[in-house]
Amino acid sequence: MKKLNIAAVALGSVLLISFPYIVPNPYLVRVAIMCGIYMILASSLNIVIGFTGMFSLGHGAFYGIGAYTSALLALNLQWPFWVTFPLGGAMAALFGVLIGVATLRLRQIFLAFTTLGFGEITRIVILNWDSLTRGPMGLPGIPIPTFFGVRFSQAGYYYFILLFTAVVVLFIYRLYRSRIGRAFIAIREDEVAASHMGIHLFGFKTLAFTLACSIAGLVGAFYAHFARFISADQFGGNESFAILTMVALGGTGSILGPLLGAAVLIIFPEVFRFLAQFRMVIYGAILIFVIVVKPGGIVGVRGVFEKPVQAIRAKHSHQKGGR
Amino acid sequence: MFVQQLINGITQGSIFALLAISFAVIYGVLRLVNFATGATYMMGAFAGWLTVQYVSRNIFLAMLAGLITGWCIGYLIEKVAIKSLRGVARIASLICTIGFSIFMMEIATVIFGAETKAMPSFFNEKAFTLGEVSVVWYQLFLVGTAVTILLLLQVLIFKTKAGLAIRTVSLDFKTAGLMGINVDRTISLAFSLGGATAGIAGVLGSVYYNIVNPTMGNLQGLKSFSAAVFGGLTSIPGAILGGYLLAIVENFGVQIVSGGYRDIIGFVILVGFLLFRPRGLLGKKTSL
Repeated sequence: MKKLNIAAVALGSVLLISFPYIVPNPYLVRVAIMCGIYMILASSLNIVIGFTGMFSLGHGAFYGIGAYTSALLALNLQWPFWVTFPLGGAMAALFGVLIGVATLRLRQIFLAFTTLGFGEITRIVILNWDSLTRGPMGLPGIPIPTFFGVRFSQAGYYYFILLFTAVVVLFIYRLYRSRIGRAFIAIREDEVAASHMGIHLFGFKTLAFTLACSIAGLVGAFYAHFARFISADQFGGNESFAILTMVALGGTGSILGPLLGAAVLIIFPEVFRFLAQFRMVIYGAILIFVIVVKPGGIVGVRGVFEKPVQAIRAKHSHQKGGR
Repeated sequence: MFVQQLINGITQGSIFALLAISFAVIYGVLRLVNFATGATYMMGAFAGWLTVQYVSRNIFLAMLAGLITGWCIGYLIEKVAIKSLRGVARIASLICTIGFSIFMMEIATVIFGAETKAMPSFFNEKAFTLGEVSVVWYQLFLVGTAVTILLLLQVLIFKTKAGLAIRTVSLDFKTAGLMGINVDRTISLAFSLGGATAGIAGVLGSVYYNIVNPTMGNLQGLKSFSAAVFGGLTSIPGAILGGYLLAIVENFGVQIVSGGYRDIIGFVILVGFLLFRPRGLLGKKTSL
């Protein structure tokens, strides 16, 4: 069994690495890159939702903050991608800490609404801050990253996001098994019990939230230099909901789930082009369907939506837990 | 200028107050926020628009359509998102209402198109002038209707048997069940009431702003939630107060910050209150 696994991983890696050469179709490589971007976004949101049991509905905003930070630094100060990329993540993390400190002590519902509101605010500020962001016209002509003096080709982007995805997935896998990851899961399962075990609730919640936001910011920075044009509408509420749907569809709380969810929801609209106008309708329907009918998502682990808590106890633990 | 802003604030505040009530009624009973409130507002507006456009140009009929639509949506959401998810983590219900919100908004986009439609105005003759400011009959009608609905809800909740059930369930639904109250029906009633209020607010709001579009409920819902937190989510008078105050603050705030940033004011209030006074102005002293 173990040998088989290793063989499968090896075969998968070879396939993924040789993908741009087996399929020299720019369109398909582009879809693959988008898959990678959303896999990372969904995986990072899963740290917040699936592991820690908190609901952030503004993930798109942190993605956008990373994208705008990196793009503006590159356009206005001509800083290289390798500098602006981490700074995009840092900026998103900074906002993540601010939002987290404001709301993570309160009941989950407030985090959900505040992050949703934060997403709207981010969009509005980007639209109105004309002198910096060019408002509704967006930012065109974001420079192509260079690697030791060579500009990224499409394969370059592909390998970058492949490596990035691998690092994020490995990081989350290791996190899941670490002391910190166990603390996250303990918080998800029962906040009162967790705090009695000596877990600093607020600290770990903030850590999980900030971690997710910084990863989203990093992907945003990459996306800005990949798409080379960004505008406020790309990072609005729909984006956050799409990422949320990917996590829910794949399976909250699993490592594989968000990857699958992202892949399905990115590839599906590409195959069924004629359904394009129904895209978000389908997302909404999937969200309802998954929670009511198949709470475990595709992967079917016991995630957040299946927590067998008694309603009354949940009420009390939520009321007292956040403090 | 001052009077003008105040009058605008009170008029818009009536819409906020209705939506804030919708949040407060449901939050009171279930300690849950119905995310689809903004979308229900939008569906109510579309129901009103359809009525005015195709049935008869009568605002009362439009309001009735909004009420029925909102009531049905509230009922449906409760059946799917709350009742079938009993005993599951409460957050699942929350996410389910988000699913409804997206679904309704996008289905409206597919059916009616994303472009903004014009809603005809009613009673837009000048009622009286206050200094240099003229007040239109519709503004009076809007405030009057909102206050009537708020009073009716107040009577319903504090004077009737159904209201007593709602209040009891909001205190402790397990004990309420043991006392012979039909908890399921009470929760369902609260959701339907919340939906109906949001539906009427949609009609009133769309006539005031003269527009109907699928995304009109987004910011409106978000801001009304801020208003409800502002006044106190656990208190119905608080939610009403929050609605009016938020609209007034917003109208005066626009004088200081530029118009584009208007929508941020509510959010700043939301975060400020969550940080320093989570129970709001009039809320009961329970931890949130």
